[in-house]
Amino acid sequence: MTRRPRASALALAVGLVLADSSVVVLALPEIYRDLDAGVTGASWVLISFNLALALAALPAALLARRLGPGLTAALGLAAFAGAGLACGVAGSLSTLIVARCVQGVGGAAAVTAALELLPASVGSERGAARLWAAAGATGAALGPAVGGALTELVSWQAVFLLQAPAALAAATPILAVARDEMATRIVPAGAPTGRPHLAANLALAMVSAAIAAALFLLVLLLIEGWRLTPIAAAAVVSAMPAAALLGGRIGARVAPARPRATAGAILVAGGLAGLALLPKAEVALTLPPQALVGVGLALVLSALTETALAGRAPQAIHGGWTIAARHAGVVIGLLVMTPLFVSDIAEQRRDAIDAGTAVILDARVSPLLKLELADRLTDRLEREQGRVPTIGPAFEPLPEDPEDRAAVVRLRGELQDQLDRGATHAFTASFLFAALLGLASLVPIGLAREVEL
Amino acid sequence: MSGAAGGGRWRLPLGPGGLLVAAATLASLLLIGAYLAAGGASYTPQEIRDPCEPRPWSDPRSLAELANQFSSSALDGAACELGVSRERLARALADERARERFARRLGIDDARLAEAIRAGLVRAVDDAEEAGALSPLVGVPLRSTLERIPLEQAIELLRDGRTLFEDVRDFLGPAGGLLERLLP
Repeated sequence: MTRRPRASALALAVGLVLADSSVVVLALPEIYRDLDAGVTGASWVLISFNLALALAALPAALLARRLGPGLTAALGLAAFAGAGLACGVAGSLSTLIVARCVQGVGGAAAVTAALELLPASVGSERGAARLWAAAGATGAALGPAVGGALTELVSWQAVFLLQAPAALAAATPILAVARDEMATRIVPAGAPTGRPHLAANLALAMVSAAIAAALFLLVLLLIEGWRLTPIAAAAVVSAMPAAALLGGRIGARVAPARPRATAGAILVAGGLAGLALLPKAEVALTLPPQALVGVGLALVLSALTETALAGRAPQAIHGGWTIAARHAGVVIGLLVMTPLFVSDIAEQRRDAIDAGTAVILDARVSPLLKLELADRLTDRLEREQGRVPTIGPAFEPLPEDPEDRAAVVRLRGELQDQLDRGATHAFTASFLFAALLGLASLVPIGLAREVEL
Repeated sequence: MSGAAGGGRWRLPLGPGGLLVAAATLASLLLIGAYLAAGGASYTPQEIRDPCEPRPWSDPRSLAELANQFSSSALDGAACELGVSRERLARALADERARERFARRLGIDDARLAEAIRAGLVRAVDDAEEAGALSPLVGVPLRSTLERIPLEQAIELLRDGRTLFEDVRDFLGPAGGLLERLLP
């Protein structure tokens, strides 16, 4: 087999696995309604995968050194594909979470082994590290949009079921390497392992926590708060990967890693602060902050990953450290942010119900109509199971009396505005916390002595 | 530009890396500043009034408006009696199921609920009189009727006070037409 198809297959494997840490974000609202779980329960569909990936990354890298990277990658991709099928047919949240853990372990094996295989296909260790980092960043950036489109057009199960053929397609060229390894029993020499780059990996964990939280919260705001469909939300959050492409180009013009990492962390923090301070519930207003986060994540993730890998051997082990750091960061971000967000949204819901009732009671319509509207509004809120409701149907049929009709139409607009502003406000504290995490990553970036490549 | 004065080339004080960091900082600050200026930090949830505080009455120009304000005052009074918000009580009285759930959570029975709603209705008469929206001539018989009214009827009055004023008008017979005139 020639080098190019193998390099493409390895890049596909890395992109596919790392996309999986975010591909399911837009499907979460569907999943938690379908499997009768809350936001906290459903967040474990994300957390479990990232936790398994973080915990398995280093052992998987060691396994690749011992067993051979081709065999490890092929086995990892097979496990990833099989677990993907299990996720697709899971009938309960617990089954889905267990299958996601298996996916994470398989994915860790594939991704870390790929880093060991890539230099032979690409020609240099540095080129391999760049391709590996780029494939991972592309997968993570495209994941939500692809997941959102599949959820809307087919179902959330399709997001997982389609991973199996893609993973098997990536595994096919790698099988030849695995066969060679098994025939010759030649595995890479057990070179002594240097210490991981602590500052770069710590900064990676902190920035990843902020970015994961940004994506998770933004999706929930768009779907649960502003009632966008998954495909519309996918289109909106595509602004982030589009900006990341621009960030990649900017990063290529600046060689030193420290300023790239610093600028990236500042942009991520600035973008998150912007999302915390949205003046109105309007999709267009999320685009400038998303652009900052997108450019920032491309700059900071690539700079820190290159720094963590530069001049360190064996690559698979240090790649394992970066994967562990990034996904541990994602897990911490989600674990910290989810309860904060859930308590905020519960408080906002109570406020919204009271504010809505107050607006109705103070309206200049007949008391009978007021209580009827309050009743219908309560019914809508209960039916939407925690989601910020579309309240239009609660006001139908409109009263026949022209004065009452005009008052009710005015009331409907006022009330929806209250709910939208309240829903947007419910995310403020979580976005601000994520912004602080992004800003805090400047400490390890600044302290790192060996950040310059 | 000292470089130009000295005849040398003008040089940027920062390298590409420094420029990148400066541009990132500027872009972030600009975005935060713009969103703050547009009211990004100004949201406060609508304040829920204390039902025990008097609610200002506007001039009712018709029986319907009088009934509307009367219901609001009565809801306030009943909510104050029960120690809950007017909004919560309104939702609780929307239907039978909601009422039962509310009573169970509050640990009260129908008698206590009726007592609170009657107190609310009487407070509404007091408020209407105080605001000059109802004559004492109507207020006195209304009060004595409301103090004995059964629960279901009391709730109906909260829903629509018009029936009460129509009943009073019918009760007053030929003098009932005066009621409209008694409105300021």
